[in-house]
Amino acid sequence: MKPIEKEYELFIGPNHPGATGNMSYHIWVEGDKVKKAETRVGYLHRGFEKLMEKRIWMQNVPLVCRICVPEPDVNEASYSMAVEDLMGWEIPERAKYIRTIILEMARISAHLLTVGGIAASLGIYTAAQWGVGDRDYLLDVFEQITGARVYHIYIWPGGVRWDVPKNTKELLTKVLDYLEKRMPLYEDLIIKNKVFIRRAADVGVIPKDKAIEWGVTGPNLRAAGYQLDFRKLEPYAAYDKIDFEVPYYPKLGEYEVLSDGSDIYTRTAIRMLEMQQSINIIRQALKDMPEGDVLLKHPQWFAWKVPAGYSYVRVESSKGEFGYFVVSDGGKKPVRVHVRGPSYTHGINVMETIAKGLNVADFAPTAISLDVCPPDIER
Amino acid sequence: MMAKELFPEAQELRKGRIRIETIKDKVTEIIKKLKENGYGHFVMLSCVDWIKEGKFELVYQMWSYEYREHVMISIKIAREGDSMVTLRDLFPQIETYEREIHEMFGVNFVGNPRLGEFILEGWPHMPPMRKDFDTEKFVKELYYKIPEVKEE
Repeated sequence: MKPIEKEYELFIGPNHPGATGNMSYHIWVEGDKVKKAETRVGYLHRGFEKLMEKRIWMQNVPLVCRICVPEPDVNEASYSMAVEDLMGWEIPERAKYIRTIILEMARISAHLLTVGGIAASLGIYTAAQWGVGDRDYLLDVFEQITGARVYHIYIWPGGVRWDVPKNTKELLTKVLDYLEKRMPLYEDLIIKNKVFIRRAADVGVIPKDKAIEWGVTGPNLRAAGYQLDFRKLEPYAAYDKIDFEVPYYPKLGEYEVLSDGSDIYTRTAIRMLEMQQSINIIRQALKDMPEGDVLLKHPQWFAWKVPAGYSYVRVESSKGEFGYFVVSDGGKKPVRVHVRGPSYTHGINVMETIAKGLNVADFAPTAISLDVCPPDIER
Repeated sequence: MMAKELFPEAQELRKGRIRIETIKDKVTEIIKKLKENGYGHFVMLSCVDWIKEGKFELVYQMWSYEYREHVMISIKIAREGDSMVTLRDLFPQIETYEREIHEMFGVNFVGNPRLGEFILEGWPHMPPMRKDFDTEKFVKELYYKIPEVKEE
């Protein structure tokens, strides 16, 4: 008997537990195999880049953090670093350490959401609830340091807004100890879980030889076997003074290597390992942080005129390379600010290409394991 | 080979940041050459509107993991009636950047089949990222209007 050939269209998102936010995938399916996928964006465009051209340099700081909801601090850091680059400012040493702590706290909180999200997309909902719950302890510390839970507006051009409270070390150590104790539970529930392994190993593979050419960065690139991390390649904040490892395939530490890498399993394992590294980094930064000023004594910020020029700065975010391309003509406002979000490549070209041939049930876990975050696709 | 050796006219903005100003006919060749010489990561394609000059500046940005160097290749094209060829065959993600620039600035990329609606939907107005698109005027005209009451 001839098999019935029938193709049908499926819309994943924008309101779907498998979609990674306010975006949608339009997929064409034959049987349960995906034949073609197209990313549909446009649900979230807020015109940040246009707004930034209309505001003075300092007014953009409270704006940029809103570009990425799970990890706003990378935006503050990269925008501030771009302004500092054009101004030729060197920020105080203590501010560098504080930035490192803030950025690593942001990395852990973003990874907790992603790892929980990947697990939830495979039916392990407990991990997602735990992730959101444990992230809250970090948000408490953020609130103590910056005064805000989600959009911190703490990293400023010239340093950080104010010094950390005196009890930060105790507060943070308590949360880090707690998170360290929780890690084995996450491992049992996700990485060492047979259900997870069977669904995640060798699924959603990015071809290793194409990873760099396709613009893959961050944990997804490291899962494909490249030990590349912008914290090491182009150190910013205090990363050049801190000793940490960059986990990559096949060096998965205590986790078993179960596949050829570059799949959902490896990407999840890399994120788990990165959280442990981030805990180490914060501990070191807390220990080594020097005393001193945290903000440059710069001119009154209404009067800032940023010298004309082009600047591109990048930060290694939890999702990959987060970059800011800033152009100034020497005036009070930027001429152009262009944000390079890692999801721009991961969520559109990479996802559309690797989706071909996927089982329809593996589509959502693959998209979430790439950590696609629509706010940085459409700014 | 590093960008400075390949292109002596390149300007060093600071350590690890190179800028090459060129013309649109040479871009494909430059990007191909850089790709073959270790600049394997295409970072982004940006567009800057220099309205006083009447030009758009397209900035192709690449990075070399080997040399830890970032190269910006700049070209200027006329704001009206000019176009650029697509480079989607060199790096697949260029296609997406071209789609966005086409929509937001109105630059035509010849050979890109996916130009069209991307982020905006049913947008009959001027491409919104152009400097002459006045956001305040646009909002006032669109939303602040008091609907006229027709008397029967």
